[in-house]
Amino acid sequence: MPGSGDERAWVRGAQAGSASDLEALFRSHWPRAYRAAYLVVHDAAAAEDIAQEAFLSAVRAIHTFDRRRPFGPWLHRIVVNRAIDWARARSLRREIGEDALEGAPARPDPPGQMLSEGIAAALAGLSPEHRAVVVLRYLLEYTPGEIASLLDLPRGTVNSRLRRALDSLEGRLEKERP
Amino acid sequence: MTEAELRRRLTQPAPSEEEAGHRTWEVVRAAFVERERVPRIERRSRPVIAVALAAALAVAAITPPGRAFVQRLRDVVGRSPTEPALVRLPAPGRLLVDSAQGPWVVQRDGSKRLLGSYDAASWSPQGKFVVATRGHSVVALEPGGKVHWTVTRPQPVAQARWAPSGFRIAYREGSSLRVVIGDGTADRLLARSVVAVAPAWRPGPVNTLAYVDTNGGVHVVNVDTRGELWATTPGPPLRELAWSADGDRLLAVSRGREQRIYDGQGLPVSTIELAAGHVASRAAFAPAGRTIALTDFDPAASRSTIVVVDRGREQTLFKAAGQLQDVEWSPNGRWLLATWPSADQWLFLRTPGVGRIVTVSNVAGEFDPGETGSRSFPRLGGWCCS
Repeated sequence: MPGSGDERAWVRGAQAGSASDLEALFRSHWPRAYRAAYLVVHDAAAAEDIAQEAFLSAVRAIHTFDRRRPFGPWLHRIVVNRAIDWARARSLRREIGEDALEGAPARPDPPGQMLSEGIAAALAGLSPEHRAVVVLRYLLEYTPGEIASLLDLPRGTVNSRLRRALDSLEGRLEKERP
Repeated sequence: MTEAELRRRLTQPAPSEEEAGHRTWEVVRAAFVERERVPRIERRSRPVIAVALAAALAVAAITPPGRAFVQRLRDVVGRSPTEPALVRLPAPGRLLVDSAQGPWVVQRDGSKRLLGSYDAASWSPQGKFVVATRGHSVVALEPGGKVHWTVTRPQPVAQARWAPSGFRIAYREGSSLRVVIGDGTADRLLARSVVAVAPAWRPGPVNTLAYVDTNGGVHVVNVDTRGELWATTPGPPLRELAWSADGDRLLAVSRGREQRIYDGQGLPVSTIELAAGHVASRAAFAPAGRTIALTDFDPAASRSTIVVVDRGREQTLFKAAGQLQDVEWSPNGRWLLATWPSADQWLFLRTPGVGRIVTVSNVAGEFDPGETGSRSFPRLGGWCCS
């Protein structure tokens, strides 16, 4: 993760029109933004679109961004909320249009050679809302209070989702062990 | 599993992470550069995102060639609510949009610039210029609005199209077809008795043009030698001509059921046959390969279908109430933009199949920001140049 001084300098540079500072900001945040989207939606193309939209939003708003605030939470709020919306909409479409989707199977994602397939499959068994809190807590390292703020949820709801998600993950991963 | 173990497993790279990062950085960088260069002109409607995944869209059924298009898919009902703004294009490139106020250039980040009081416009091959028509004049200008030259004719002009070579522009003056050099010189007559169908330049370095005569015959000519390469016999009235990206297929979109495809020598090689009573509103070849997207309208039922035809296989992508008007491929071929006047919406469909749908509503208002009252639905002039 970049130091807060680096990040402020990059934001300041980007606000002044420096593409290299914007690139530094992008490079430091892309992996976790994309990974977070992917772990919620489980679709590489959708994750790319979601993370891309978040960065384009950042570009559009960069001149008005308050440099005293960290950039990550602002970006992650967009990424995770859009990823939840996307995953919910896909579930809804499956429920009401299963027959219509025949003949157009989703393109399979490339095999997960790097991300553990076990953990991805286990996460896929959770609801989008539960995946999101796991990703925010254990990939993006937010506290439950910060997650509550990012998702506009009561802190108690975040804690209960985390607990249930971890229990479910534990069970699913246990089953896979030889 | 400990929390530390979970952290370790989640922080490994995801599939395609690096390639997606390279692609996205190019898009972000371009948006940043454009943002610096192009002043925003419509702050009022800027920052509302309209990404709505339609919950009840009928998607994707494959039928054998030659059969009537399937009717079994569900109609579009109960769509997710959309928010009223065009904020960004889902794929690289810029759109030309012809509105009642004139043509607009829409950048990837959704910012728009009104080119001026012109009737219609289309792109030069690299998107560095635009050719527009207004009354009796053909005008070449930059996407920023700077006019380079004007040709004025005695009769009204329309349907100007820039050749892929960049060195010729064809346009219609009344019922005549004329060609001018890309710098606005050497304007001359190419053919008389043509109909109001936009001439279509064949992709490639040779300045070869297809047009339709008043008997419904298609002519393909070498513009520089004036030699006719081939022509078809008179046929049913046509509404559009479109070349494949390799220049080896020409689609003649008719007002009847049969849509004919010719090879590079003018031989009919296949036909897309619509169901009885249906009409093809628009059609477009993908920017690579020979995939065709076509809007099929059933006037009796007032329903439209977007169909993709690839190597003889027809795939229904989308069905909707009312008439879908224009259809345009993104420059990278990954998205289709369809316009839907009765719903006042644009639909961006991710292909192949429909992996994703982005809906933009309030389109007429987007291109009539001063609400002049002449809110005719805008037409697409082209999606250019990633």
